[in-house]
Amino acid sequence: MGRVVLVVRLVLADVRRHKTHAAMLVLAVTAATATLALGLSLYNASQSLYVQTRAATAGPDLVLLAPDTGPASTAALKTLANDPDVVDHNGPYDIVYGTLTARGYSSSVVVHGASPTPGAVDRPLVTAGTWVRRGGAVIERGFATALGVKVGDRVVVSGHTYPVVGIAVTAATSIYPWSAGIGPLGGPSDYTGLLWLTAPEARALAGRDLTITTALDLKLRDPDATEAFRLAHRGLSVRLNLHSWQFIAVQDGHIVQNTQPMLVVGGWLLGFLAVTGVAALAAGRATEQTRRAGLLKAVGATPGLIGVVLLTEYLVLSLLAEAAGLVVARLVEPAIANPTDSRIGHVVGPAGLTLAATTALALAAALLTTLPPTVRALRTATVAALTSTAQYSRHRPWLTSLSSLLPTPLLLGLRLTARRPGRAVLHSCSTAVTLTGLTALLTFYAQPVRGYGIASSLPNGRDVVDRRLLLAVTVLLVVLALVNTIAMTWMTAMEARTSLAITRALGATPGQVSAGLSFAQLLPAVPGAVAGVYVGVVLFAFTSRGPMSMPPRWWLVAAVLATLLATAALTALPARLAARRSVAHTLSAEAA
Amino acid sequence: MNESTPLVRVRGLVKEHGDGESWVRAVDDVDLEVPQGQTVAVMGPSGCGKSTLLHLLGGLERPTSGEIWVAGRRTDGLSERALARLRRRSIGFVFQAFHLVDELTAAENVELPALLAGRSPRAARRRADVLLEQVELADRARHLPSELSGGQRQRVAIARALANEPQVVLADEPTGNLDSAATLDVLRIFADLRATGQTLVVVTHDERVAATADRLISMRDGMFVDDTQLAGTGTGRLGGLVGLEG
Repeated sequence: MGRVVLVVRLVLADVRRHKTHAAMLVLAVTAATATLALGLSLYNASQSLYVQTRAATAGPDLVLLAPDTGPASTAALKTLANDPDVVDHNGPYDIVYGTLTARGYSSSVVVHGASPTPGAVDRPLVTAGTWVRRGGAVIERGFATALGVKVGDRVVVSGHTYPVVGIAVTAATSIYPWSAGIGPLGGPSDYTGLLWLTAPEARALAGRDLTITTALDLKLRDPDATEAFRLAHRGLSVRLNLHSWQFIAVQDGHIVQNTQPMLVVGGWLLGFLAVTGVAALAAGRATEQTRRAGLLKAVGATPGLIGVVLLTEYLVLSLLAEAAGLVVARLVEPAIANPTDSRIGHVVGPAGLTLAATTALALAAALLTTLPPTVRALRTATVAALTSTAQYSRHRPWLTSLSSLLPTPLLLGLRLTARRPGRAVLHSCSTAVTLTGLTALLTFYAQPVRGYGIASSLPNGRDVVDRRLLLAVTVLLVVLALVNTIAMTWMTAMEARTSLAITRALGATPGQVSAGLSFAQLLPAVPGAVAGVYVGVVLFAFTSRGPMSMPPRWWLVAAVLATLLATAALTALPARLAARRSVAHTLSAEAA
Repeated sequence: MNESTPLVRVRGLVKEHGDGESWVRAVDDVDLEVPQGQTVAVMGPSGCGKSTLLHLLGGLERPTSGEIWVAGRRTDGLSERALARLRRRSIGFVFQAFHLVDELTAAENVELPALLAGRSPRAARRRADVLLEQVELADRARHLPSELSGGQRQRVAIARALANEPQVVLADEPTGNLDSAATLDVLRIFADLRATGQTLVVVTHDERVAATADRLISMRDGMFVDDTQLAGTGTGRLGGLVGLEG
């Protein structure tokens, strides 16, 4: 018990002393795990919302679509409605394809002729207003959200004006914009929203040269046996389209098919940034950790206990950050899993494999960064550990000679970079990840904008969602990279303060010193930025579906230059602050 | 600046640190003139303000009040940038803790001020070789500071201080971390510098170092309490006593 108390005390004391390090670790791991958890659990969340909507609206197991409203089609549908495997049905009812205009927008619309008193199968849930009545229209909620339409507004359907009396959700069709149940002879293939009118009003609408089909909703004795039912009824005299509830659920998932790889890849990139940032911090504290280990050994602590003390802080913070990330994912998931607002229900949140992945990420962030300095600390003899000083890179005569040819700021920058080549590599990786995200974003924006067809002026909902999410992930990447850059600059400045004070005593101006510190960050950033552009393009190509348009070259060059300028600007402040420290105080403190 | 103008001049110099209970006046209304070619030793107990005085002369700290003139130019109001340029051209520093850059060899440490002053790498290296020869470390030019003894490191630091042919060399306890043998090596170098007319201001509490000077200033509680001209030729009787022949 005493050892546990000791470990807790030492860890808390260290966290209090290094609050900024702890905050950086928590911020980075939270962002990474939240993004990864969202990405991995998105598909299941989408399916879960469909299942809950289906339960709430008595959604059908099968939706059958006939090519027309003729007697042969009606007879075929009625025969299936009386099949022994069918326990209940809704319809047959008319489906009319038209055009809707409202609030300055136009869109293809599929109109269902509905009964004012829905039966046991397919009972759309009214979320605002009332159900259909004569002279009034009810709009599917996803469609209403896209149009910005509320109860009381007016819509024009193929020349007819209707007041909106209600907004509802249903599981009988896919989510907006895939509400069209295309009949076997085709129909409008444009993205379509759903609207209900009374059956007579739908039929009257059809009289204006609009495509009309007939539909039937079935409830099966065994809801999972939809495929068996389809196979058992092949070869009918009338060609029918059968949409099973499983098909509709899969169709729902298409809205997130781009979102999911964005979030999963984004999550791993953020995790990588977390590792680079925390690794740089941990390496900067390696000497201090070695001394701490020496102190603990000197007072009788075993290597095991010392290992626990050195590792616990980062492990606990990482796992706490993971928990925070999962909470964030849980809160954000409904908006991302249900971007069109067509479904109802609550999302369960990340579970199973998702938890395993996020835990692996959090543990990797902690262990990869702290294990090497911890092992080194444990292997160092006690006396050596107690007097441990920072070990910088060995003498490189060729590098020193090369730097001698350069102006003073570059000379200082190159020599500062050479002191900590590992940190330079981490900074380069951090920049590469940032440019990967930026390049992916620019490449996305370079893709042709896909609308919803000539009949629709609404923006493509999936593209809108994808853009927002990709922008959000890129912003997170940029913010984390900025934090990493500032932290690394500050650490470089602190570690090099004596050398830089000597250099100032020998005649380097504060401006040259701060420029040198900035160059020390810029030098590794350049290859990282270039590599990041290539990786970003390859990653986009790998995850996108179909042909890809390359962004204009100047966009990519501008992104690289902007990143390098931002790096220089960010490093200027900590570099300037470090350069203004009193030379005498710095040298006196070092000598003391 | 003509020959009669002091190379270093100070008027009413004051330096205060801290506030409240921790307030201290490290340098208290000091006046000083150092002619060209003179070696001045400043002695006093620990904490009397002698190192602070040296830092003020070299522009490493800002005075609270007073005037500082170096090589005919007033320096107490200069910007950090201007002070850095002044240190490049006119002032060389030797520190008690040597303050060499650990990852540079002896030659690379010595050539650093020349590179900062904009000299070509070749010229800077030539100058470094000459200086290392003067301090009898030519054979250690490629060694890192960790491979040198304390005395050798201090000799490298002295060579570095001379890289840009400064008008004045400021040395803060140059033998403070050295053993007797190393101390004598450093004293011989200072004696050679004095003989060439180099202006030196040396802060020390080692009487052997003071013996090599032309003038001895005693400092206590931030003030000069004594200012004595020592023997004008060679190292004088005191120099002889410590084994330096004048």
